[in-house]
Amino acid sequence: MSSKPKIGVYICHCGINIAKTVDVEELTRYAVKLPNVRVARDYSYMCSDPGQLMIREDIRKNGLNRVVVASCSPRMHELTFRKALVEAGLNPYYLEIANIREHCSWVHKDKQEATAKAKKLLQAAVAKVRFLEPLQEKEVDVEASALIIGGGIAGIQASLDIANAGFKVYLVEKTPSIGGRMSQLDKTFPTLDCSACILTPKMVDAASHPNITLLTYSQVESITGYVGNFQVKVRKKARYVDFSKCTGCGLCAEECRLADRVKSEFNMGIGNRSAIYLPFPQAVPAKYTVDPHSCLFLTRGKCGKSPKCVEACPAGAVDFEQKDEIVEFKTGTVIVATGFDVFDAARKPEYGYSDYDNVLTGLEMERLISSSGPTGGKLVLGKGDGEYVPKEIAFIKCVGSRDKSTGNEYCSRVCCMYTAKLAHLVKDKLPEANVRIYYMDVRAFGKGFEEFYDRVRREGVRYIRGNPSEIFKRNGKLVIMVEDTLTAKPLEDEVDMVVLAVGLEPRRDAREVIDLLRLSQSSDRFFLEAHPKLAPVDTATEGVYLAGCAQGPKDIPDTVAQAKGAASSALVLLSSGKVKVQAQISWVNEATCRGCGYCVEICPYTAIELVSVNKMGHEVNVARVNEALCKGCGACAAGCLSGSVQQKSFMDSQILPQIAALGGKS
Amino acid sequence: MPDLEKLRALAKETISRDDIKCLIGWRPGTYGYRTSPHFVRSPEDADQLIFSPLCSSNLATYLTLAEKRPVPRGAQPDTRKVAILVKGCDSRAVVQQVAEQGIKREAVYVIGCPCEGIIDLRKLEDKYPHTLERVEARWENGKISLDLPGGRAVFPREEIVAGKCLTCRYPNPVIADVTVGEDVEVRGSAGFEDINWLEVKNAQERWAFWRDKVNSCLRCYSCRNVCPMCYCEECILEKQNPAWIQRSVNISENTAFQLARAFHLAGRCIECGECERVCPVEIPLTHLNRKLVKEVSEQFAFTPGVDPEAKPLLVGYRPNDKEDFIL
Amino acid sequence: MSEKFEPNVVAFLCNWCSYAGADLAGTSRIEYPPNLHVIRVMCSGRVNPLFIVNALQQGADGVLVSGCHPGDCHYMEGNFLARRRFALMRELLNFVGVDESRFNMSWVSASEGAKWKDVVTGVVNNLREAGAFTEFPRKKIDW
Repeated sequence: MSSKPKIGVYICHCGINIAKTVDVEELTRYAVKLPNVRVARDYSYMCSDPGQLMIREDIRKNGLNRVVVASCSPRMHELTFRKALVEAGLNPYYLEIANIREHCSWVHKDKQEATAKAKKLLQAAVAKVRFLEPLQEKEVDVEASALIIGGGIAGIQASLDIANAGFKVYLVEKTPSIGGRMSQLDKTFPTLDCSACILTPKMVDAASHPNITLLTYSQVESITGYVGNFQVKVRKKARYVDFSKCTGCGLCAEECRLADRVKSEFNMGIGNRSAIYLPFPQAVPAKYTVDPHSCLFLTRGKCGKSPKCVEACPAGAVDFEQKDEIVEFKTGTVIVATGFDVFDAARKPEYGYSDYDNVLTGLEMERLISSSGPTGGKLVLGKGDGEYVPKEIAFIKCVGSRDKSTGNEYCSRVCCMYTAKLAHLVKDKLPEANVRIYYMDVRAFGKGFEEFYDRVRREGVRYIRGNPSEIFKRNGKLVIMVEDTLTAKPLEDEVDMVVLAVGLEPRRDAREVIDLLRLSQSSDRFFLEAHPKLAPVDTATEGVYLAGCAQGPKDIPDTVAQAKGAASSALVLLSSGKVKVQAQISWVNEATCRGCGYCVEICPYTAIELVSVNKMGHEVNVARVNEALCKGCGACAAGCLSGSVQQKSFMDSQILPQIAALGGKS
Repeated sequence: MPDLEKLRALAKETISRDDIKCLIGWRPGTYGYRTSPHFVRSPEDADQLIFSPLCSSNLATYLTLAEKRPVPRGAQPDTRKVAILVKGCDSRAVVQQVAEQGIKREAVYVIGCPCEGIIDLRKLEDKYPHTLERVEARWENGKISLDLPGGRAVFPREEIVAGKCLTCRYPNPVIADVTVGEDVEVRGSAGFEDINWLEVKNAQERWAFWRDKVNSCLRCYSCRNVCPMCYCEECILEKQNPAWIQRSVNISENTAFQLARAFHLAGRCIECGECERVCPVEIPLTHLNRKLVKEVSEQFAFTPGVDPEAKPLLVGYRPNDKEDFIL
Repeated sequence: MSEKFEPNVVAFLCNWCSYAGADLAGTSRIEYPPNLHVIRVMCSGRVNPLFIVNALQQGADGVLVSGCHPGDCHYMEGNFLARRRFALMRELLNFVGVDESRFNMSWVSASEGAKWKDVVTGVVNNLREAGAFTEFPRKKIDW
């Protein structure tokens, strides 16, 4: 039991912010008379050094053991004053703040009324502080490793940063190769760097880094535990290729009975691959994978007399006996870099994406125009003998972005510039082609964007403001119905090809990640950051960070910047090796706990469990709080029927006196 | 109406089992219409067992009341099962206790007794006051017959059973390891006619009603003690540190006590009506409980005490729970 | 009554949304009636419904509980749990004849300083109509 309360009350004028509306002298005279108050003082700026010194000296000289500060919101200076208590040798949780600025002097005009209210708020704070108990801030060790989910540029960058700082990284990628969306791009705006040229060195670095364990073709099955101590289970899907034997020579793919007959995901379905495949030539790891959904042997149990890939492989690496493997490890932090999916253009049926061959999405165009793409970079339409070069090419922007009818109100932030880039590339390859872009607005906000937009226009790309209403086919040509809203003229534009600048959407399997980590989604369905401005890479789950388009649409530089931000946040934890856990957490009085488990069910963090204890020879269940998991919301305390669960600093015995003080007439 | 001989035979057989330490049932009381709980520990004890429209008490209360005495060093606690006779409502108490881990399902052996309604002794005493000789009662073709000192009397069920039985939707036990007697017809309506009349009054009238009732509360805590769902080791409403409610008996503390008691039963009350039955000053406590039963059912489509696997109501939520009252 | 009755309101605000929203009202100098006094809790899920009964006993004429909008809870679910508890407590109070104006609940986010003012003003105005809480306040014996 702590000693008898000796309370010091400190009333801040906040310049005139408080003193103008609240009679601080009167308040000070009132405070001295409150029970257990030893000293009450007022000062112009309590948060200043002299103000804090006043508190520290009183604690030392007058033996104060509780402090009430009547000042601004505790959300502002609670930590400041806690530090002052610590410096004076007092437990920092012996502090209570009466908010007489934001909740009083700033919102009321009448000095008498405001002073009366301030008295009550102060009285409530004094009533509570008497019952506060000292709390200890505990620390738990941080496992010196990070889990990165998603092997795109965000995940790769974050992995490299953390690994270079000397910590172990587990990089988990769902597909057979890292590289992500960036590997599918041809050039990058606005500098026109070759995407692969700048990405592949990083992919190779990540794969060869001694601190990085690459888990491709793998999915996280479960994550339990808490900041500093996550237990992770990863399913390594069977590749049916012995990783250690495969040399990546590609003979298997050449011999495959389905060679060039399976749609290539990497090429967005406009090129083909084999059933045993490398997603793209620069794939990392450069190891082949058997696609279980198309492989004849795996789907039908039979592939001729024997699978040709097995025969073709000189290293004997193909192994149809392979099974999924579960890998388990511990990590201190998690970075979610799961990226995005592109908008499904079929959801805008008026643009005929499902009906007409020559209506492509931006990403398909990207593959078509890429020198590593199915046509080797030749911009041609049709197949075989019917191959021809398009002359009239139109782009339509904001397909699936800024469009309430598709449920996507947001701007995808990259389409304006990738459209400009693709238009430039078209002009580069086909100088004779007529290129126009239908747009609502042009948002060229980034570094070098406006200049690039200007350049593209000077190259002869026409920008026509209008949102096309329909695309149909007439005489073998695509006809775009649109109103030029600058001249208010309806147009029927006949073209050879239409590129839909589809927007970015959350991954369709985002739900799985949410369930793994208890993440939240913002209204645009991307993962929700802890604070939109001040904690843009953090999540509500401590130790879990966001990077890249999983958090919202962004371009490559922003993605890399955020990945570096997430990595540095993770490194703060990893390098300190310790993490402080909330002190104002829940606590169970096991003597009165009836073991009903209400709190266990209520807790959103699974921080409470029922444990069996021996009470006088009987095995009975009682609730117990895992101090590292508890976030201190107190929902369990309000749900406990016997009052056995209490939230420290917000206990019933501390709140009831507050209610009594506020209910009474002052 | 179960055959008493069969019931006693079953009880004898049950108590003779090695894994059962005690059987809780009813026996005639010392006088008049009274019945008592009966703790059968040997086959001979079973001869006194009865089950009749006078067996009002909800024996499930005793399951959680069992005192856990210190086990001497070296000895093992007696973990044998307790067998218990339950009516429909009583069985819901057992289910709810299991659902919230007050007892373990495997720690009880439930003997179900389908029930056609329990006599409200107040109604009977109005008709035949000061009856001292033991009276027997039985269900007969939807009526209740009594062997009174003056001869046999037969009443229509509706005239003499407790209010809770008129609204009862679970006359047949919802769990039982074995059942005595045939299942009976469900007569209670799913409506809330019993409280609608009070709900339609205005706030002043409702308060006037409750003020008069709660004013007479003695704070004897019988309502809480008898409740099968009130089994905290230490009731927060009696704690002095912190003191949620002061000990003085006045309208303020009495009202707060009754509101808190009712609220602690929100989503848990199984409508056995014991609180009201034992109230010495006849506060219509089931009205408070029934109001919450109604809200729990209408707002959250939840019925406590029917599924031992069900999560308790107030530990969860649905994202689309009603919130028209929120500003 | 010649003099206008001024109610006394006790409010429970969650730290992350409603308390911050009330702070914002302050920072934005949005004026509202001085009748309401705030108790800060970390989450509306911490507010035991029995606090409401207690506040009425202790002399409050009305009570307000305010939390984050559904889906915005800092602790993910606290406001949902609170919503259920208070839906029932509200009905119970109402059933014993406590005027509806005495218990209020609101969702106020950290950016809704203006809404906070509207909530406070509305609650206080309704209570001015309803008058003092006389049903079961604790009698204070002052020696």
